[in-house]
Amino acid sequence: MKGQQIQKRLPLPYGSLIDRNTEVSFSFERKSYQGFAGDSIASALAANQQWLLSRSFKYHRPRGALTMAGQDANTMVQLPSNPNALADRELISDNLAIMAQNYSGSLNNDRGAVMGLFSRFLPVGFYYKAFFKPRGIWEKWAPIIRKKAGLGVINQQLEPQYYDKQYRFFDVVVVGAGPAGMQAALSAAVEGCEVLLVDENPILGGSLNYARFDAEGIRGQQLREKLIQKIEANSNITSMTDAVCNAWFADNWLPIIRGKRLYKVRAKQTILCTGALEQQAVFRNNDLPGVMMSSAAQRLIHLYGIRPGNAAVIVTGNNDGYANALDLLDAGVDVKAIVDLREQPKPDAIVFAAAARGIPVKTGYAVYEAQKSRNHLSAVEIRKVVSQGICADRGEVIPCDLLCMAVGYTPTYQLVCQAGGQLSYDDNSAMFTLINCPDAMQVAGSVNSHWNLDACLAEASRAAIIATNALGLTSTAIPEEIAKEPVSPNHPWPIFAHPSGKEFVDYDEDLTIADIINATRDGYEHIQLVKRYSTCGMGPSQGRHSALAAARLVAAATNRTVAQTGVTTARPPFAPEHLGHSAGRSFYPARRSNMHYRHLEAGAQMLQAGAWYRPAFYGAADGTVDNSETCINNEVNNVRNNVGLVDVSTLGGIEVRGPDAGEFLNRFYTFGFVKQPVGKARYALLTNEAGVVIDDGVACRFSDEHYYVTATTGGVDRVYQNMLKWNAQWRLDIDIANVTSAYCGVNIAGPKAREVLAKLCTDVDLSPSAFPYMGVREGTVAGIPARLIRVGFVGELGYEIHVPQHCGEALWDALMDAGQEQGIKPFGIEAQRILRLEKGHIIIGQDTDAMSNPMEVQMGWAVSRKKPFFVGGRTLTELENKPQLRSLVGFVVNDLNAPIPKESHLILDGEQMTGRVTSCNYSPTLQKPIGLAYVTPENTPAGSTFIIKSSGGVRVTAEVVKLPFYDPDTLRQEL
Amino acid sequence: MSSIMPTEVPRRSQLSRRHIELGAEFERSGYLLLVKDYGSQTEATQAQILGLVDLSTLPRTGFKGAGAPDWAATQALNLPQQPNTCTVQTDGSLVAKLSHQELLILSDLNGKSASIERLNNTPVDPQTYSLPRADSHCWLAITGSQAAEMFSKICAVDLRSHKFANGEIAQTSVAKANSIVIRNDQGSTHCFYILTDVSSAEFLWDCLLDAMVEYDGRPVGVAALRALV
Repeated sequence: MKGQQIQKRLPLPYGSLIDRNTEVSFSFERKSYQGFAGDSIASALAANQQWLLSRSFKYHRPRGALTMAGQDANTMVQLPSNPNALADRELISDNLAIMAQNYSGSLNNDRGAVMGLFSRFLPVGFYYKAFFKPRGIWEKWAPIIRKKAGLGVINQQLEPQYYDKQYRFFDVVVVGAGPAGMQAALSAAVEGCEVLLVDENPILGGSLNYARFDAEGIRGQQLREKLIQKIEANSNITSMTDAVCNAWFADNWLPIIRGKRLYKVRAKQTILCTGALEQQAVFRNNDLPGVMMSSAAQRLIHLYGIRPGNAAVIVTGNNDGYANALDLLDAGVDVKAIVDLREQPKPDAIVFAAAARGIPVKTGYAVYEAQKSRNHLSAVEIRKVVSQGICADRGEVIPCDLLCMAVGYTPTYQLVCQAGGQLSYDDNSAMFTLINCPDAMQVAGSVNSHWNLDACLAEASRAAIIATNALGLTSTAIPEEIAKEPVSPNHPWPIFAHPSGKEFVDYDEDLTIADIINATRDGYEHIQLVKRYSTCGMGPSQGRHSALAAARLVAAATNRTVAQTGVTTARPPFAPEHLGHSAGRSFYPARRSNMHYRHLEAGAQMLQAGAWYRPAFYGAADGTVDNSETCINNEVNNVRNNVGLVDVSTLGGIEVRGPDAGEFLNRFYTFGFVKQPVGKARYALLTNEAGVVIDDGVACRFSDEHYYVTATTGGVDRVYQNMLKWNAQWRLDIDIANVTSAYCGVNIAGPKAREVLAKLCTDVDLSPSAFPYMGVREGTVAGIPARLIRVGFVGELGYEIHVPQHCGEALWDALMDAGQEQGIKPFGIEAQRILRLEKGHIIIGQDTDAMSNPMEVQMGWAVSRKKPFFVGGRTLTELENKPQLRSLVGFVVNDLNAPIPKESHLILDGEQMTGRVTSCNYSPTLQKPIGLAYVTPENTPAGSTFIIKSSGGVRVTAEVVKLPFYDPDTLRQEL
Repeated sequence: MSSIMPTEVPRRSQLSRRHIELGAEFERSGYLLLVKDYGSQTEATQAQILGLVDLSTLPRTGFKGAGAPDWAATQALNLPQQPNTCTVQTDGSLVAKLSHQELLILSDLNGKSASIERLNNTPVDPQTYSLPRADSHCWLAITGSQAAEMFSKICAVDLRSHKFANGEIAQTSVAKANSIVIRNDQGSTHCFYILTDVSSAEFLWDCLLDAMVEYDGRPVGVAALRALV
């Protein structure tokens, strides 16, 4: 078997990318094939004479390899893992099952090809013309068109794969490891730069690996070996092959993709040696399998050891076509003719060599039409060129199975243009050229329109000098700019219209000469409008092979020069990338309290509050989830009747210290704090400049110059930032420190809380008189230094105990042990929400919104009117002088059969929305649904009723009650 | 199972469960409990390649404020000159200057440095404020020749040895978690301390282990770290 495979290949040294000792079996369209390790899918299939790879997007035309460089959409195939894989880029692997895309029936006999017969009814912009009338018809067409338009199929069963990212730092990054790139890297490295040399191909060398630079065909290989030897000997150079620099972002931030990793590379200087992309000639049926770029044929020969055809014609506008002919001859291909668009080729050694080897040359001729047999090129008709784009009436037919196109290049300009460089067009050379490259970026080689090897190398060295000078490593005199060659490889008009059309300008979108011209006739004369109207350049290859021809056609159709016409914008990415590359290894810094595992061991169902994990409620002791409602109600009842323990470590904690600490809080929060006694806590309500409630907590005064302020879990970072911001203006003598993570906290609450705490805390007098409600103390609990705060968020006797973070679990253990006798049980966030609701306490962000002011939420009592200033104070004074538009009230639902309203359910007056519910739960204590809602002022008196549109649209009657629902005289929390 | 368990002391690393799962052998000195090793005989060698150590229970403290520089100057400390640099003290502790007005002091690897306790018990000058660094941050160490390479997967700062000198500090993001990264080589072995919000300690530990797999990195005990000196 291996022998058979080897016989299909040209002998060594052809095939530099393949390992002839390792055979690989794969399938294409369910038929088995063999190739060698290192083969791309397209090369392995080509070796087996399978040239048809895909069907085109619109007309389902047969397509084969065009560039063999991963730069076109013709080779897109379906892999098990992903669609639209580039067959000339993707390597074969054992048992890889490859399918073609976008056909109906079979790849060889695609029923969709019938679309080509209707092409005259599918003119440019037909989507816009055909599917918008009558009104609403697009809705009918859309699914049909979208189904037809799809190429590959996404495998939705695929397990996500591991992608990640890595940062890299270099003095100089050279993109493109052809002759210019290798020379630039060497020149920079010898000056001491750390250089990254990156190339999308598996080996260094670029065109030196396949192109012919002299009649003998030896110079490229010799130069490659010499440069690689030096690169490998230079430790300052890191070579990265099989890696695509996929964009340029500000400050030389270069995303480079290799395998499943995105390298985030920072370069001080960038040298782009990205080369040039060969362009097609435009003539009828220029898309048939067997018609390819001359460089594609050379890649097949030199990289994969594959004879690209048996009988070849070369259409050329430069001497590269002659070099191509020599390569084909050397590979045993019968070269039928070189069809030279020029009347007279520039004489050089290669041209002479071609003549010496007897290759027929037809100068002043063009390929007028390609003909097919069995989905492959079978012959070309050539005709004499009589004027620009016009051929003689008659020509001759040359049978062939390979047509190589060598009519010119465009620079691989994408990265340069993303960096702010511009494409200009030189009418004399008929070439796009790059101008206005930004600082810290150089270009060298064929991307900068140098075609002579020596000129490329000289320019690369010059670019390196500019870069090393900019880095301060050298102060070398910069050589004169290398002069461009007088003769361009670009033919000015390799475009020949045919009465029957099908001369493709854009292969991706099946756009022909007529399509581009008709777009201008429809009034879309600007190149950007032509692009959007015709979709030219919007396909997978992003105009790599259509931009030049389209610009020429638009220029001619609108009587402008190509320079005036311009090209469309090049945006990242340069090549298709997997979503996984962008997503990469994602990082989500989840936060856990020191007691986290105690919650899990107690059967907690955890929920996320911002980045924090918090226990929602605790299930059955064996770890199974009990009915959540029962669990939560039991937790509520245990707090009301015994004692419960809740983890409040996630609450924000901010130290405000210094001589002006009281003054600072006085200005920052709505209440008064200057006269707050030491040893007391005070409710702290925060408004912004618009008087909107944005956070709350308690300010605990531990000394004259020391306040410990709590804030909400989700709000503490904003509170801290606001504190820093305001004091940057006020310049008070204080220090502000966010110590949220430094403390673990619990709230032990319930009528037996003191009884439990007293077992562990002996250095603080816990008696009601010595440590009353809203008192704060410092002491030890279970031997752990602790801050104790008597607060009553849940409406019972309770103590918040804040201890150093690493002691959180030990505190939890000690309290749970000590409270066994009293029936202590943990309770979660859900129970806490009910408990606080019964007590009528609001939750900022749930019961407030972006408009809520303190008066609306019945917090006017927390606003000091005596102090001269606080943030939001002026606005609140104004608001108090205006009628209130809504008010947050407590309500109960007396009908126990009614569905319990939920947060955000609407309050209706008839059919008019007049408010909304912010909180509502069944109260185990009151044994009925209770809640908070915004209502209109006339609905605020106790006893008023209003209608809530509850689940399923059921109208539920609610009755306004005075807050709090539970323990209105606050006897419980002040026990 | 280790003969000493974290539950024997009140101060427990946020990573205790991870250590137990990995078969850690703990060592205890008073209330200070650390992972001595994970039962491997090759941890000292591992630490020279790529090791991850949890030092979170070791003492540390911090001070900041306009008065902090002058006050610190009176505390018999060898203070760093520039922000984002650190100096190792004679008792093995380390003083990191995080800004002109902020200092972080880390104990030696045995937790025996006298300076931490002394500083915590010394009255501070006006405009000098202590910070609860022992609890606000976890403290991990990444050691070995592959440390900088591993870091490049999760941190945007170039920490290679010729770009980030011994004694330098980066206050940056590691795996999206705000972190203080201090290079404090142990003998001839590269060593980076990472101090990150303690509540994200497990997240960071898991991220580091994930990033280390490619380089055969593993957790090692504090004994391996001490052996490097």
